[in-house]
Amino acid sequence: MPRESLIINTLVELADNLVDHFDVIEILTLLSDRCVEALDVDAAGVLLASPGGELQFVASSSESIRILELFQIQTNEGPCVDCFRSGAPVVNVALSEANGRWPLFSPRAIEHGFHSVHSLPLRLRGRIIGALNLFRTLQGSMGDEDVAAAQGLADVATIAVLQHRASLDANTLNKQLDNALTSRIVIEQAKGIITEWTHCGMDQAFSRLRSHSRNHNEELTKVATAIVAGTLSSSDLDKPK
Amino acid sequence: MVAERLLEIFALMATHERENPHGVPLCVVAQQVTELSGAGISITSNDDTWTKLCTSNRVAQSLMDLEITLKEGPGHEASTNGTAIEVADLSDRSHRWPFYSPGAADLGVRAVFGFPIQIGASVFGALSLYRDSTGPLSEKQSSDAYLMASIIGRAVLAMQASALRSTISDELQGRAALDFSFHQAAGMLSVQAKLSIKDTLVMLRSHAFVLDLSPSELAQRVIEGETRFDLTANQWTEARWKNN
Repeated sequence: MPRESLIINTLVELADNLVDHFDVIEILTLLSDRCVEALDVDAAGVLLASPGGELQFVASSSESIRILELFQIQTNEGPCVDCFRSGAPVVNVALSEANGRWPLFSPRAIEHGFHSVHSLPLRLRGRIIGALNLFRTLQGSMGDEDVAAAQGLADVATIAVLQHRASLDANTLNKQLDNALTSRIVIEQAKGIITEWTHCGMDQAFSRLRSHSRNHNEELTKVATAIVAGTLSSSDLDKPK
Repeated sequence: MVAERLLEIFALMATHERENPHGVPLCVVAQQVTELSGAGISITSNDDTWTKLCTSNRVAQSLMDLEITLKEGPGHEASTNGTAIEVADLSDRSHRWPFYSPGAADLGVRAVFGFPIQIGASVFGALSLYRDSTGPLSEKQSSDAYLMASIIGRAVLAMQASALRSTISDELQGRAALDFSFHQAAGMLSVQAKLSIKDTLVMLRSHAFVLDLSPSELAQRVIEGETRFDLTANQWTEARWKNN
């Protein structure tokens, strides 16, 4: 193999492996570090909800945050829990004034040297999949611009998670996509055939396919396949009611 | 390194997501990330289901139409072979794709690249990229194109994961998405010409090529009844044709 293609192949393999098994935790940890660099905060952490809806610790910029995040999960109280439950951002909460709100969490966070917290939802198509927590050692509020930037980083985290979750069962999904594409195409072809035979519009052609499939309790794709194969004639399709 | 770059790409995607309520097609992101002239995404499970998902601009669209009509070009080859395809100078390699290459050159395209969209061993599409000047991809561009192809693969699977079994997700069928009009036209034409769908698809593709129309443009004409096949005369008839 010539040198050039060897290098290219190695690079490609490297990229493939890294991407195929990309580590969502590595990316979210990197993101937590970025929050600390880019925003006026001292520590950051990410919690994600399991499919069962239980919050889980995933990544953080420092060990003390990890402990605080786990503490929130254990005691089931804190900014992240509130944010996750309500789906709304929790911003600029001074911990010294939040004893009533989080009687267990506030003193513990202050113990770790933090004085204000923010939590932003990770939103995915209307669903909340977790939260990004930001901790500051100083009192005082985060500006609107910083809040917007933080939500932006939370959105990045959401995309990373979405990308990761998609990979969990690629084979099954790929088969599903394959089936879906094939059935969609057969249905579109059948619509064309019915339209031509019966001089109706595409929408009507689809209605006829669907009512026939319902009346005879047969899958839509099966009816469409029969039309395309010529084993079922367009004129034998049930008329829609 | 890869994690850093992925994060940058995700950040770009998140920015688009925020600024555009409908989101920005991934082909636009691919064009920006690779810093090339244009990008197109096609989805396929086999040769007969090859379907355009989106293109980042007009030239990319014509280029993708050309590929789908001719079934040759970088995306087609990338998804068939499961390997990356690079043609740094189209005029050099016109023998490779005898019809695609001159057609692409006419569009002002000088270099084309194809990357399979795959997860593990399953290939289910291709990312086609082009540049209006000749030259190979830099190492960074090449690795970015790989990342983008992988991101697109995951995005497609994630969209599809939310769909019912044996249906295509709304997101894949939504705005600027999978184009099935060609198959509706094939259905109509198979009745007119009394041919199997498979033969009709071949016939439609070659007719589109002869008329210099994109598959979707010809499909639209067939659906509107402007292009028909007259079986008794055994020839195409064109109503309100631009040259008439």
